[in-house]
Amino acid sequence: MTDPHRILLAAAVLGGMAVWLLLPRRKGGGIALGGALGAVSLGLTAAALPGLADWLAQSLFWLLGGMTVVSAAWAVTLRNPVYCAIWFGMSLLGVSGLFFFQGAQFLAVATVVVYAGAILVMFLFILMLASASGRARYDRVSLEGLLSAACAAFLVGVLSIAVTGSLHSPKLDSSSAGIPQAQRQQGVLAAEHTKQIGRQLFGRYLVAVEVAGTLLLAALVGAAVIVGHARGPLVGPRATDPETAGGPRHG
Amino acid sequence: MADGELELLNGYLVVGAILFGLGMVGFLSRRNMITVFLAAEIMLQGISLSLTAWGRYHNDFGGQMLALLMIAVAACEAAVALALVLMLYQRKGSLDLFLWQDLREESVPRHIDRELPEALPEEPPAWPRLTPAGLSPEIPPEQTGYRPHV
Amino acid sequence: MFSIPSLAILIPALPLAAALVTAAFGPRVLRGRSHVPVITALALAFVASAILLGRIATSPDFRSLQDFGSLETRHGYQRIVTLWTWAAVPGMEIGGRRSEVGGEGSGLRGQVCDGAFSGRACPPLPTPNASPDFRVTIALRADPLTAVMLVTVTFVSLLVAVYSVGYMHGDPGYWRFFTYIGLFVFSMTMLVSASNFVLLYAFWEAVGLCSYLLIGFWYQKPEAAAAGKKAFLVNRVGDFGFALGIFLIWTTYGTLDFHDTMTGSGVVSPGVLGEWRLAEPGRFAGGTVGTAICLLLLLGACGKSAQLPLHVWLPDAMEGPTPVSALIHAATMVTAGVYMLARCGPLFAVSPDAQYVVAAVGGLTALVAAVIAFTQNDLKRILAYSTISQLGYMFLAMGVGTASGTVAGMFHLVTHAFFKGLLFLGAGSVMHAMAGVIDIRRLGGLRRRMPVTCVTFLIGSLALAGVVPLAGFWSKDAILAALHERASGGQAAAFYQGLYWLALATAAMTAFYAFRAFFIVFLGPEKVPPEAEEHPEKTSPWMAVPLVLLAVATIDVGMRLERTGSLERFLERAPGEEGRGEKGEGRVWQMRRDGDAERGAVAIQASFSPSPLSPLPSPHSPHLQIALWSTIASVAGIALAWLMYLGPPGAKRRLGGWMEAVGLYRLSAGKFYFDQVYEVLVVWPLQGVASAAAWLDRVVIDGLVDLVGTAPRAVGALLRPTQGGLIPIYALAMIVGVLVLLGTLLASGL
Repeated sequence: MTDPHRILLAAAVLGGMAVWLLLPRRKGGGIALGGALGAVSLGLTAAALPGLADWLAQSLFWLLGGMTVVSAAWAVTLRNPVYCAIWFGMSLLGVSGLFFFQGAQFLAVATVVVYAGAILVMFLFILMLASASGRARYDRVSLEGLLSAACAAFLVGVLSIAVTGSLHSPKLDSSSAGIPQAQRQQGVLAAEHTKQIGRQLFGRYLVAVEVAGTLLLAALVGAAVIVGHARGPLVGPRATDPETAGGPRHG
Repeated sequence: MADGELELLNGYLVVGAILFGLGMVGFLSRRNMITVFLAAEIMLQGISLSLTAWGRYHNDFGGQMLALLMIAVAACEAAVALALVLMLYQRKGSLDLFLWQDLREESVPRHIDRELPEALPEEPPAWPRLTPAGLSPEIPPEQTGYRPHV
Repeated sequence: MFSIPSLAILIPALPLAAALVTAAFGPRVLRGRSHVPVITALALAFVASAILLGRIATSPDFRSLQDFGSLETRHGYQRIVTLWTWAAVPGMEIGGRRSEVGGEGSGLRGQVCDGAFSGRACPPLPTPNASPDFRVTIALRADPLTAVMLVTVTFVSLLVAVYSVGYMHGDPGYWRFFTYIGLFVFSMTMLVSASNFVLLYAFWEAVGLCSYLLIGFWYQKPEAAAAGKKAFLVNRVGDFGFALGIFLIWTTYGTLDFHDTMTGSGVVSPGVLGEWRLAEPGRFAGGTVGTAICLLLLLGACGKSAQLPLHVWLPDAMEGPTPVSALIHAATMVTAGVYMLARCGPLFAVSPDAQYVVAAVGGLTALVAAVIAFTQNDLKRILAYSTISQLGYMFLAMGVGTASGTVAGMFHLVTHAFFKGLLFLGAGSVMHAMAGVIDIRRLGGLRRRMPVTCVTFLIGSLALAGVVPLAGFWSKDAILAALHERASGGQAAAFYQGLYWLALATAAMTAFYAFRAFFIVFLGPEKVPPEAEEHPEKTSPWMAVPLVLLAVATIDVGMRLERTGSLERFLERAPGEEGRGEKGEGRVWQMRRDGDAERGAVAIQASFSPSPLSPLPSPHSPHLQIALWSTIASVAGIALAWLMYLGPPGAKRRLGGWMEAVGLYRLSAGKFYFDQVYEVLVVWPLQGVASAAAWLDRVVIDGLVDLVGTAPRAVGALLRPTQGGLIPIYALAMIVGVLVLLGTLLASGL
């Protein structure tokens, strides 16, 4: 195991411990320590990764990547589910930034529009209807936090070690290793990006598009059917609480 | 490899793996149904990152295509899942995942929560104070010059 | 009209058919008339037996034997009917030539053909290194010994069956009773008709089975079930010895047939008791092997005929219905042992040690049983011990070893069947009238209530005591005469003299206990138990007629047979009887092949010619002196009984006190503690072993099996908590599985 691997291993372990500490637990506390460990773990990961071409690209990548990871961590570990959703939106912005960084502009915009604009909003609607704003017991206790954090640490560690190790091994696929950047400029990184996307979508991947459309129709119908037979008004703590029932106070 | 594509790929894959791992932790350990689905969406994001990275590296649009299609699928999934969660919430009045344990074996006892050490104080709901429409607000005389708040 | 082979087949077949018909149709169709098939079959069988007897007596070969004093032509008679071959296993030979039989001391070495077969090949003998053919056929024989037994058995069976119609009337198992009776008569007739040891053994066991079924007839009564079990098990001990004896016979003689058989190539295969073997006494195995065979056969006979020490089952067998006691345990089944000893007489003739043992066993049994009968209070048990004692007499007669001894034993068998059957049926009649009470202390003076029973019981008791001119006198006299002749010279004369005096003393005791029973029950002041007063039952004619017929037979048959001497001469012509002269010498025989085959049955008739070796003994010489002594003994016994039970009261107390002082009373009343000894020696260890085995089976073996059953349950209980119903746990399990897979793949270098 070479040096980067050991660093990555340490980073994975520390990261796992950090996540465990950050998860909502019965004993509470440990959030500060978790945050510190998380920061250390991120730093180690960044150090283990091979550097990019110039410092601007490197720092931009670290910024975007760090923002995404931290937002995702908070989206998973906060107690109030509304805050979770908000931070999830933040991580979506980070992912979108990473897409931009890579040259997948259409995808970046689509992520923001569809994911953050539609799906996230839908989550928030449901949360508004049903949530107890983090005060309920089920939001403050997690199940099997240690085991899941350990699994995640193992997974991430193994994957990153495998990726880092194999990408620099001599067994790398030679057909793609020597793709000149010029070719990429013609292909994936072409200027007329959306045109290319359109050409690909309705050319090579037409069947997939049609299938996706059918899937959307099925989901629409299914959701309508499931919710369409609702029995009476929605039940919730706010609806049943006589003091808070109704709307804002008048007068 | 002077153009740094490999390093870029390496970085994106690691970030994608971290996102996937974080999403997995959330999926396995949270009890609120909405939060669980949220974590599943985070996992999907991590996968999208990996896909696009591979697509760029291999000069293939397939990565981005699949990521686009994954957005579509994620949307369907979210729609149906949230509809189901809504129905479950209607039956039990709570978003707790632990209320639904009826799939267990007959002789295995029901999982019962232990009491939490602390209880949060019940705060009265804080409603915003809005001025009634159509009336001018009462301004105290010392604040005619400037108002600290509206 | 009927040929002898068909008669021989018909006699056992009729009761069997009746038993099957009664079993099939009894419960539903026949019910109260279930006795009809069996009684019809028994009547026809009796008629057939009588015809068979007549035919044997008057057959041409036989008739020529009636000329006394003429030693030119002496013939024996036997007719074999072979039905089919039951088993045929070819033997193995070495080198194509069989040499002589092995075994030291068997006395069969150096056998050579002696020209008796006039030109035919010598009969082969088994070798130690090669096994002979194992060939068992279903072969019946018709000879004088068999004919006598058949007539006795069918006659007594018929009368007992008729009696049972009245006795068992209204019993819910009526049809079952007659089925068993039919089955029993079939087994008994086949036993006496069997012409090889395998068949004999098979029906030996069959009569044991029928005895068990009939003793435990009222199986809901635990004493009856236990008595049946005891009878079967004690019989089994004897049968074990019998089986060992048969095995030894097989290894020594190479065949299990009684008769000689002609194999296909004209070679004669000699039977164990066949004519070829009877020609020379040296052709039997003597010495150690011969004595071993005889003692093992004796063990079998002791078991079946209730001799010491295997007599313990017979008194308990009185739990069965009284007709069963009369038929099986007085007249027929218990005599199978005596019959077997008579049949295997030639084997005993070459083994004097075995003869002494037989006589000793018989004498001792007679004495001990008579002593026990003094103090019994149950009428049927008195008669049971009397049976044991009389069987001891028969064994004593068989143990004498001479032709006249065997004839005397068979004579006593026939007469005993009649008068003991009569006594038992009379006891049954008393029981029937007294509502099941058979304790003689509760009965008294029944002569006015039951005159027929009283008179017939008196006749039977007189016969048992041996009072002239009833049957018992003649047969007991014949036994004493045989003993006396044997004691007058030759080997072990003193031994037989002692046995003679023992027999006389036992005769006196027999008279005593027989009349003790008669006086207490029938004479004296009338004493009737209260339960009998409520249901006075008159003896039905079904029960009275057999009593009368048996009484007539008792009076008539003995005298007739003795006066004409016909039984003696008849039986003496049975093969095997002739072979033994006064002191065990043999005669030379010749064999003539008879060519006629009747209806598929292969018949071998034999005719013999004597050699002028020793003269025929005169059968009637010193009888008068013996008759006198035996009469004195009987009268003394009767007088003592009169004194004690009908005379002045003081006498009883004095004599009883004397007996008690000697300690004999307690021994006798305790039946010599045989049962207790057996209980400690045999029953307790067996029960311990059985309990241990039951414990082992229940705890260890069943525990092991249950353990195998609990293993899946335990594994299931171990794995069940994974299905908790919590979905995140399911997802966690899935992911852990994926990670394990991932780790394995990476570790293996993919």
